[in-house]
This record gives sequence, C-alpha cells and structure tokens, in this order.
Amino acid sequence: MNNMINFGIDLGTTNSLIAKFNTGTVEVFKNPIGFKETLPSVVGFRNDRILLGEQAKTYMEKDHKSVVSRFKRKMGTTETFKIKSLGQSKTPIELSAFVLKELKTFIHTGEAPEAVVITIPASFDMVQSNATKEAGYAAGFKQVVLLQEPIAASLAYANREKNVDLKNSQWIVYDLGGGTFDVALVKIVGGELKIVDHEGDNYLGSMDFDALIVERILAPQLEKKGKFTDLLAQMKSDSGKYNWLWCSLLHRAEDAKIELSNNPSAEIDLSRCDIEDENGKVIEVDYIPITRSEYESIIKETIDNTAEMMKKILTRNSLRPRDLKFVLMVGGATYTPFVRKRIEELLGIPVNTGIDPTNAIAVGAAYFAATKEIDMSGKADEKASAPGALKIKVAYNRASQEREEMFSAKLDGDCAGLFYRITREDGGYDSGLKTLTPRIVEDLPLQEDAFNVFTFKILDGANNLLATDFDSIQIAQGKYSVAGQMLPEDLSLVKDDLNTRDTKLERIFAKNSVLPARAKRSVDVSKTIIHGSDDEIRIIVVEGPSENHFTVNKTVGYLAISGKGFKRDILRGTEIDLTFELSESRDLTVHAYVNASSQEFSQIFNPTARHVPVKILTEEIRLLETRLEEEKVDAMTSENYEVVQELEKLTASVQELQGEAMLLTLDDVTDGRYKLEDRKRKIAQELNQLTSGKRLEKLRNEYGSLKADVAAIVNQSGNDHERRQLNEVIAREHSFLNSTNPRKLEEPMEQLQGIHFQILRRTPDFLVGWFQNLTSKRELFNDQLQARNLIEAGKRHITAEDYDRLAEVNGRLHNLLPQQEKDSKEMQRFITGIS
Amino acid sequence: MDGTYANAWKWDACLNITAINQLYELEQKLKKHGDPNNLQRNLTRMKGAFEQFYDESSGFAYEDPMDQPFKETRTDLEASIAGSGTENLVVVEVLKPIIRAVVRDSQGNFSKVIQKGVVIVESKQQKTP
Repeated sequence: MNNMINFGIDLGTTNSLIAKFNTGTVEVFKNPIGFKETLPSVVGFRNDRILLGEQAKTYMEKDHKSVVSRFKRKMGTTETFKIKSLGQSKTPIELSAFVLKELKTFIHTGEAPEAVVITIPASFDMVQSNATKEAGYAAGFKQVVLLQEPIAASLAYANREKNVDLKNSQWIVYDLGGGTFDVALVKIVGGELKIVDHEGDNYLGSMDFDALIVERILAPQLEKKGKFTDLLAQMKSDSGKYNWLWCSLLHRAEDAKIELSNNPSAEIDLSRCDIEDENGKVIEVDYIPITRSEYESIIKETIDNTAEMMKKILTRNSLRPRDLKFVLMVGGATYTPFVRKRIEELLGIPVNTGIDPTNAIAVGAAYFAATKEIDMSGKADEKASAPGALKIKVAYNRASQEREEMFSAKLDGDCAGLFYRITREDGGYDSGLKTLTPRIVEDLPLQEDAFNVFTFKILDGANNLLATDFDSIQIAQGKYSVAGQMLPEDLSLVKDDLNTRDTKLERIFAKNSVLPARAKRSVDVSKTIIHGSDDEIRIIVVEGPSENHFTVNKTVGYLAISGKGFKRDILRGTEIDLTFELSESRDLTVHAYVNASSQEFSQIFNPTARHVPVKILTEEIRLLETRLEEEKVDAMTSENYEVVQELEKLTASVQELQGEAMLLTLDDVTDGRYKLEDRKRKIAQELNQLTSGKRLEKLRNEYGSLKADVAAIVNQSGNDHERRQLNEVIAREHSFLNSTNPRKLEEPMEQLQGIHFQILRRTPDFLVGWFQNLTSKRELFNDQLQARNLIEAGKRHITAEDYDRLAEVNGRLHNLLPQQEKDSKEMQRFITGIS
Repeated sequence: MDGTYANAWKWDACLNITAINQLYELEQKLKKHGDPNNLQRNLTRMKGAFEQFYDESSGFAYEDPMDQPFKETRTDLEASIAGSGTENLVVVEVLKPIIRAVVRDSQGNFSKVIQKGVVIVESKQQKTP
C-alpha cells in the first residue's frame, strides 16, 4: 500500500491545490501562510524575488509586465511570457513548475513526494498534456500521472457517495470557478470513466459576478447621490480619480455575494468609505441593500450562456436531459443557489451538490493517486543535486527597537543553482524565493513588541530543502537587552476571594517577564462604598510567587481610594479597569478607572520607596492572628500537639506585633512600620510552612469525597455535557493532585461543585428542600407580602409536582433575602474590596 | 508552531473571527463618528476578553494596518493596489484587520496570523486625498 503515489494536485488556471490520500481519507493541505487550501496560480518577479500565489496576485493587474497568471491556457504553445524585471522570458512550463514547487511547501507532514497525479482540463490535447508532465518534472517530481479534471471531480463524488450506483450511467460535470468555466460529459464506458465531450470559456467566473454587482447596483446608486461624470470609467482606470473605490467596492461586493448564498438579502456597508463627488461634497450613504433576486437578475444572462453550452453538448451527442443522471457542480461559483436552481430549470436535469466545489478536483486526484503505483523506471532525469556541505556565518541584532533589522549571511560552499527563503513564523513575512549567492543581505520586518522567529531555508532547484547548520533567526523587538531586564519575581494583585472568604492573588506580571511591560485587568467592587465614607477600595500589588497567600509576599504597590474620593456611591459589582505599567527601572504605575463615576486614579510606585500604610498593616496583623487561632483549633482537633506548640509561639509573636502596631500613629514617619511589616511577613511564612502540608492533605481528601459524590449524582441524573465536564476534571487530576499549590486544587473542586449544583437544581428533592430552607427564614425577607405570595405559590407547585416553576419561586425568594447584611458579615474577612 | 498546531488554532479562531471583525468595524465607526457615550471602553473590554480567550496569557488580538507600508514580502495582508504606481505603497483603506492568535510568555509575544488583513494600498506619491 505504501508504494502508491497518494499525492494529487489540481493545477488550476486560477487556483491550485494539493491533497494526499492516507488510509481511506483525503487531506487537502493548507498554505502555512494564511491557511487557505488554494494557492492562486500566479507567479511574480519583483526586486530579484520570485513571488507565488497571493503575494504575486496583489501585483497581477498593476505590474503585469513582471507578474504572470492564467499561463495554464498557454501550456503546450511556443508562447513565452516576457518578464520585465528579469529581462528574460519564462515558458508556461517553467511558470507552472513554480506553482507546483510552491504547493510542496503546503505538505506539513515533512514528506517530499517524488511521484504525483496532476489534473488537466478535458480540453487539453497531447502537446498540452505533455507540457503539464514536463512542468511536473521541472518541479522535481520523478513520476507524473495525468488525470482529467471532470473525472477527478466524479471520483471525488463516487468516493464520497459509495452507495450510489453509477454503472452504465452518464452525467455532466459543471465547473464554474473563480475565473474559468468548463463543462464536460462523463460516461462510464467498459467500467472506466471517460470524457465524451466538453465545452468551456476561459474568461468566465465568479469574479465577474463581483464586478457586475459594482457596475449594475453600487455605481448607479452612488451616481444618484452626487455629481459624477462617468463614475465607472473613473473607477476602472488606473489613473482615474476613483480607482481606489473600485478595489474597495469589489471586496464589499464579494462579501455581499457570499452572504446572499445564505440569506435572501444583504447590506453593503459603505459607512466607513469617505466618498466625495466631483464638487467635493461628501456622499451620504451608509448601507446599500441588495436582495437575492436583484443579484440573480444581474447574473442570469451569464448563467443562461453556460446552460447553452451544455445544451450544445447534448445536441452534439444526441442526448435528452433524462439520459443524464445528474449535473455535478464543481467550482466556487456553484455555491450560489441561483446557479444550481437555474441550471436545473433550464436543462431539466437534477443538480448534484454532493462534493465540496472548491477542492473536489484535488480530492479526486488524491483518490486516483491512491490506486496508482509508484514506478520510477520512466523517470525524467536524475539530476538530484548533491552540493557540498554549505557553511553559513550569520550576523544580526538579537534585540531591536527598530521595525526592521538587517540580516546578513556569508556562505562557504557551492551556491550554484540554489535558492533561499526566509519566512516569519507568525505568517507575516515571506522573502519569496531568492537566488543564493555567497553573500546575502535581507531587511527583516519585525512585529512590534514581540519575539520574532524567522525560518531560514536553503532549497535546491526543485524546492527540496537542504540540511544546513543554521535554520532560525530570532529577534526580540521592543526590548533593549533581554538578559539584563527580567522581573525576578511574580507581581500579583490582591483580590478578595468570595468563595473562601479570604484573599487570593492574581498574577499580573510573571517571573522572568521582560521589561518594560504593561497589563490590564478589570475587577469588580466586592462591597458597596458609600460616597463620603471612610470605606476603601485597596489596590495592592505584591511581589513573590503568585501561589502564596498575599501576607507572605512583599507589598510593592498600594493605592487606596476611600468613599471620600468618589463622586458618588460605588455599588457592589461596579467594574474598575486597572492598568499596570512596569518600566525598565521597575517603577510600577497603577491607573484605576472607575466607570460608574468616570473617575481615574493613578499612582507611581518606585522600588526605592515601600508603601506600607499603618492602617492596612494593623488589619493584616489582625487577620494573621485570626488565621493562627483557627489553625490552632484545627491542630488540637487532630491532636497534632507539636504543631499546636509551634502555633502558640507564633501567636505570641503576633500579639507582640499587634501591641507595637497599636502604638504607631496613622501618619507615622519612622521606619517602624517597615520593620513590623517584615516581621509580620516572616510569621506568615512560618505559618504557611507549618500548615501547608496539612491544608493540602485536607484538600486532597475533600477532593476525593467530592469527586465520589459528584460521580454518583452524574451517573444517576447527569446529562452528556455534565458527564464530559466531570471526565475533563478527572483527566487533569495528575496535574493538580501532585501540586503543592492549594489554589490549584481549589479550582477543580469549584468546578465539581458547579456540576453538582447544576444537577441538584433539577432534582425535585433538592428543590423542595431548598424551598423549605427558604421558608424557614420567612421573617428575614425584605418584602413580606411578596414573600408570602411566593411561598403560597411554591406550595402549590410542590403539590402539582411542577418543579420548573418551583425553581423559579426559589430563585425569587432567594433574591428577597437581605443580601447586604449577609455580605457585610462575610466582608469582615476581606481586605481589598475588589474581587 | 508546526502545521497541525497552527490548524488547531485556526479552528478555534473560526468561531471568533466574525466577532473580532465586527469589533473592529465598531471601533472604526466610533473613530469616524465620535464617541459621546464612551463606548470605546466597552470595546476595549471586549478586546481584552479576546486577548485572554484561553487564559491570562493567550487569546486573539487584532492589528489595524492603516497607514503601514506595504511590500511584496508582507504576507499578513491581502492587498488590492489602487492607482498605477507599485512602489512606496501604503495602506489607505482597511476592510478587515489582521487577526492573530497570540501567546505571551516570559520571552515576549508569539503570534500566528489567522486572518490576513484585507486592505487597499496606494503609492505614497498619489495617495487619495
């Protein structure tokens, strides 16, 4: 099986594709740049580079003396294309070989096929077919098998619809592409697919439809709104005043055309086009609507002409429409519903849209290739180049502030007949194929503020990659010196954690981030701050591992905004946009924008001055004491007396600290608070060390039992989605169960609880239990009358077993609970007021 | 990124490309017609959400190539050349922005173009007034 060709190429007039058959399926390879399956069959020569596909297409109309397209039609003729920038001519074979070579770069599997199937139009004669073979050889293939395009399309269909019986039948392949039209009568003769007759127009395609939309719909509309003298001519002429508008409208027309394939109408949005008429008056036009029927009426004539060609084939072959099984649609333009409908209408033959019109020919070629054995006996020539090993010396800046950097290389060895190509890995730059010389210089454009990686390849004449000792160019843009300016520790923002009623850290800048750096975060206000009050929102930035509790890390930035600073009440849930900027000298700037009051607060912190407000220090110490007390109770319960003893020592230190902190005034100017802050941090570190093992163990146990509970309920009443969610969590177990970071365990537990609750909410027992729990709090409800009505309704729903309605009642009752009172108790454990 | 990995990005991105293009359109319209209600803030938030689509350091971002120079080596743009000149080309109209899948790590930003910018370019000398 491995001895089959497997690779198929659709070498099209406008676009080319490559596909491979692999264990029963066909993969159509995508261009590594831009991910399109199609490569425009266009070759350009500009500034000593060879450009292929999209890049060349850009210059197709404007630089037609150096860019060539539609050369497929000249295959097998003596005609050559003069290339102005080269000062020489290229044959259609050479140009096709460039396209074939470029297609090889689509193969991401690393294979370098030596044999290939290439498709040709039904109309190709012997000379043209041989020329196509030659192009294949020139591209480095050693075996080239040809296949007619309508047969390829039919194969793609037959392989897709394996159950359809095509024996003794005939059909028409209708291939309307971007720029060409072909139609062929295909018949099964003696068990083999054969082309019996064909017709075509090399200048008809869907691109013409875009132009028709502009000419017949958009231009007349614009002409009505302002004064233009022959707008169309002005748009189509290179030197016309409105030439830019022609390109712009064509793109918009194409979008509308695609939309009209799915919707009965589309709108062409011109609100971003600044169009002025000849008097300088700005044209007031936002949207030009276009309906499917308008579009159909303008392309009708063209489609009718294609039907005429088909009728000719039928007449020539003395066939009636009912002798044909179907019309097989291929080519991008056949996506248009009208094309399908109209052809069916005019010919009375059912239209078959069973294959992907864009890649069907390449897919069919690959299926065919899978049945053809590799045979190297008739190979063209063996000029496999074996150049002496090349030695490359390169020079370039590894870090740059510029948008472009010069790359130069010196090569030792034989460069004759070789090419090089540099591409940027993000897909934003391609040098094109360039002739390799002993000394090369290239200006490489850099993506801003990014690590730019370029691939450097040396290729032989058949586009085969040669192994060298150098293949990658790496340049950091926007950085001065990567080595000297790394952030030594994580910088994190302290936030309230509403679930654990504690605080948590959100990493803003990771350790080893390269400076300068900038980050944005949005946070919610977790408690209401009354205008004019002393309540505060605190933006605290700490330095140290982001898994730590914040008290363990060093505070490097602190910005407090009190109720006095706000213009109005800031309600719980209000968003604050935070921007953090870290300069190269590690000055941290924090901007906070409060949308509700349209206020902005900023503060710059520099590493020489530490911000330790007395107020927050005392609160932190109090919090630390509470934690110590809780840990002590825990350790006592588990009879871990050694730990209790250690904790008692720490408690004594904290109490001492508390006493000293009380003595500090709020505006203390001595360094007393820094000393206290250091001591507090050390105690917190010790506490963390003492209890981290215990906490992890406890969490792991909790996780185990939670998982068992959730698995049971998912098995009993879960749906597929919940089952998948549970399996996803279990699949990640190895990563968080072995982690020493409690946060990593808490996160999957939250997810499991989420699944649990999701299922419970649907179970009658839970809903009834929740309802009873809520009714037991009836005196707390804010609106007693409403609560009474809801409770009555709830009881009725229980009797009627209407649990959906009961869930609604529960939700509404829950909302009637005095949220703020409950919150304020919770908030005592919070520090920052943001979450 | 090898081909397979890049394709995986592409499939995820398909879901978001339409939304990001619309976001860009909105932003351009605000620039053109003014923004009395400070809608830009909400758009910036949405952009932020896309930038952190997967996690805090990976997602999607777009780039507006307006006024940038265009050369034959640029493969992040699908350009139509207006006018007759083909030298010193600059982007004069952006129909669709460049969309990238971005991963930020300690070495810097790594990205992959998942939608080429669709633009009109014109020679600088004859740029449309």
